[in-house]
Amino acid sequence: MSSLSYDEGAHLLRRAGFGGPPEEIDDLSSRGREGAVDFLINFNQIDNSAMESLLAASFNFSTQDGISNPEIRRWWFTRMVNTKRQFEEKMTLFWHNHFATSSSKVQDVFMLNQNVLLRQTSLDGFDNLLLKVSQDAAMLIWLDNITNVLGKPNENFGRELQELFTMGIRDVVTDEQNYTEQDVKEVARAFTGWNYRRQTPFTFQLNTSQHDNGSKSIYTGTPWAQTGNLSGEDVITIISARPATARYLTWKLFNFFVYPVTNSSTDKATIDRFAKVYLNNNHSIKELVRAIFTSDEFFSERAFFSLVKQPVELTVGAIRMLGGMFNQGTATARGNSAILQNSSRNMGQDLFAPPDVSGWDFNLGWVNTASMLERFNFANAYLTNRNTTNPGVFVTNDQLKSITKPSSKKTVKKFLARLGPLSVGDAFGTLRTYLETGDNGQPVTYVNDDATVDKKIRGLVHQIMSLPEFQLN
Amino acid sequence: MAINRRQFIKRSAGAVSVSLIMPKLWMGSVARGQEVAADPNRRIFIVIQLAGGNDGLNTVVPYTDSRYLTLRPTIGFKDTELKDANGVSTILGNDPFGLNPAMGELKSLYDAGKVAIVLGAGYPNPNLSHFFSMDIWQTANLTGAGSGWLGNYADQKLIGKSGLSAVSIGSALPKTFYANKIVIPNITPAGGADPFVNYAYQTDSSTAGVRDKNNQVNTFKSTNSRSFPTGSFSAPLAEAGFDAEEGAAQLRAAVQNYTPGATYPTANQPSATAVSFASALKMVAQIITTIPDANLLYVQLGGFDHHSQEIGTAADNFTDKTKGQHATLLKAFSLGVQTFYDDLTAHGLADNVVMMTWSEFGRRPNENASKGTDHGTGSPMFVIGNPVHGGLYGQQPSLSDLDSAGNIKFKVDFRSTYSTILDKWLGADSQAILGAKYDNLGFLG
Repeated sequence: MSSLSYDEGAHLLRRAGFGGPPEEIDDLSSRGREGAVDFLINFNQIDNSAMESLLAASFNFSTQDGISNPEIRRWWFTRMVNTKRQFEEKMTLFWHNHFATSSSKVQDVFMLNQNVLLRQTSLDGFDNLLLKVSQDAAMLIWLDNITNVLGKPNENFGRELQELFTMGIRDVVTDEQNYTEQDVKEVARAFTGWNYRRQTPFTFQLNTSQHDNGSKSIYTGTPWAQTGNLSGEDVITIISARPATARYLTWKLFNFFVYPVTNSSTDKATIDRFAKVYLNNNHSIKELVRAIFTSDEFFSERAFFSLVKQPVELTVGAIRMLGGMFNQGTATARGNSAILQNSSRNMGQDLFAPPDVSGWDFNLGWVNTASMLERFNFANAYLTNRNTTNPGVFVTNDQLKSITKPSSKKTVKKFLARLGPLSVGDAFGTLRTYLETGDNGQPVTYVNDDATVDKKIRGLVHQIMSLPEFQLN
Repeated sequence: MAINRRQFIKRSAGAVSVSLIMPKLWMGSVARGQEVAADPNRRIFIVIQLAGGNDGLNTVVPYTDSRYLTLRPTIGFKDTELKDANGVSTILGNDPFGLNPAMGELKSLYDAGKVAIVLGAGYPNPNLSHFFSMDIWQTANLTGAGSGWLGNYADQKLIGKSGLSAVSIGSALPKTFYANKIVIPNITPAGGADPFVNYAYQTDSSTAGVRDKNNQVNTFKSTNSRSFPTGSFSAPLAEAGFDAEEGAAQLRAAVQNYTPGATYPTANQPSATAVSFASALKMVAQIITTIPDANLLYVQLGGFDHHSQEIGTAADNFTDKTKGQHATLLKAFSLGVQTFYDDLTAHGLADNVVMMTWSEFGRRPNENASKGTDHGTGSPMFVIGNPVHGGLYGQQPSLSDLDSAGNIKFKVDFRSTYSTILDKWLGADSQAILGAKYDNLGFLG
């Protein structure tokens, strides 16, 4: 079993979750690389009753009226901050981006149901996950499959199924074209009549009179060619087994969890190697992510801090790493609990509303002057909120003081460790100088007394959260 | 704290940000105390959102439709009541419409040929949910999906331009401005003397924190002006971060160069709403007179959801149609637009600006039992400015031909108004932006 250093444990928790305090990182590190990954991905075995109680007390989704746009967002953020099952939420976020469905078209109740479904099936065999998502009301509405009927096929779902959810237009490794326009038409026919019942719990229903039972030919002239009265289920089984799907999913997982993948032959070989884990394990997502998170690639120098933090990683992570608080409020007293969803949206990531079916643009897609100002001003709002009773985000003076040391050097070091751990080069000296500079700009001696904590330590964390290094994951 | 070279260059010479994907930092060539020089080719477009569902039938009143007063016995206007506070008729020439009496200023602009009214604007299978219908209007997509229509425009036309080439004024960025390739900034007006004060790299506002402000800003500038290896994400992050702070500071500094050319409402006169709406337009004036790239702007006037007591006040037992919630909002709109227009004229910008209003729906023709109106369908849009060919466009829906919910049937797809503006004012390809071709309504060009 490979060992897992503190920095590696922190890296794993930031990527497979939203980061956390030193106790959680120490716990992961003590388990070793394989043990830590095993712990994270077998999240069903982690007791999460505290969060469940919190959710039960803070939300009212028993009637459809309680399920609104802001409420489903508040619910998800509450989960991400409080869950002990960090990877469950992160993997749900991965699939939310992958099967990018938006509340701009889909009712909130269906968005919530889809989110629950993604959480339940996130590590299943891909065939089952894809089938469940495809038969769920949110997707049936989102990509118009409810209007895909015999004689009048709607190709929207059939196209995105292949282009965005499974194979991509071209194989990410071999660059071969994966399907043709004719395949889009034929696949669409296989899904005709797929619909959902118009009453709770809105389960899948095949409208047989609207289903095309004729013969369909797909992937003609390739090793995956099939002809016959193919159903939607058949098509999902066929596509899930194609190596192109294994490679595309591996590629997306790498880009989301490991590092930005290039077109180099080395990277293509890496993708191909991990795709085989999928193919050799009955398309198990769990085994694929286990292989990825225990790999040397994941713990390579190239991977550390190689991604730009997604807005929700930044907002949720800032609370979890520092030991801050998110008072989520209740359905009737929400206070300023919307700060997480609003700030993340203004940074470019509105949960439940990705920009389109291809999901969010990562890395430089998050970077522009308007979104950066939001990042810095969220940090300021979080660090300078001294109201510890109302719903919102805050960190107490006691918590901050517990991280300080008597010397400015050690204090800066402790906070950089806490918020990364970050290595910041010359900025270290600048941050230390900040602690040792008085109101008039003249040097002062740093002491970690209460007044300094309330002013300078809050300022220090705001400054760390404003560093380019902190924007990376 | 030492200023390094990069910082020095940025501060003194106005170096332009070099990243390919980021909007450039705006760097004014305008000297302190100066406004932007006139440019006859400049084309500014301002969206005014009337949020909540504006009652179109009591905004542009079809007073000759025999059904109008039957459907609205309490809140409807008789022809004799269509005159403003000065007793001047608000009836539109020889046409069978009159503006709400609260809109005397807009009537003057109409008479001067500066206002096009697009009657009966709406869309098929109307959605009566505020949220869904707003999405539809904002995305120009009948499913409400996707980015905003002006976000699409920005994705095509504003890449590589200044980060201030489009700006929203309001509590949050409107979906109309949701883009895929850039994030358009939203400036939330601050109370007090300088409404731009919060558009900044914000620091601790506590008493002790304020004294530490310079230290914080200096630390930020220092750490974000370090050099990073090319190809790393740190380089564009630092660059965008630094530009965010500096761009906001420049905006705040630039807008101080503005001198009002008109007297904007103050001190809750004629209403707090009128003051806040006019203040937002004044912020627009501050931006467009001092920042040459800022050509796409957005303001909001909310509160049109008048399910009850649309007219009157408690003092008149809710009978005085010249007062009340709707009149207050329409007065705010009319007075704000007039003041802003006067300001533009004083700054020599009136030929460069087109304004457009929209609301997610109109209201039901039949008044309800609470002297209010419920959610309806189509309603008129106003397009205002010197470049506009004033007059009536579209077609008024008949009140004798209502749908099964008792709502009017729209006559003009609202996207025709968008396409006309995109093609004839913004020089864009409306089909590429809206996904389909719509009629040119002819009020521009």
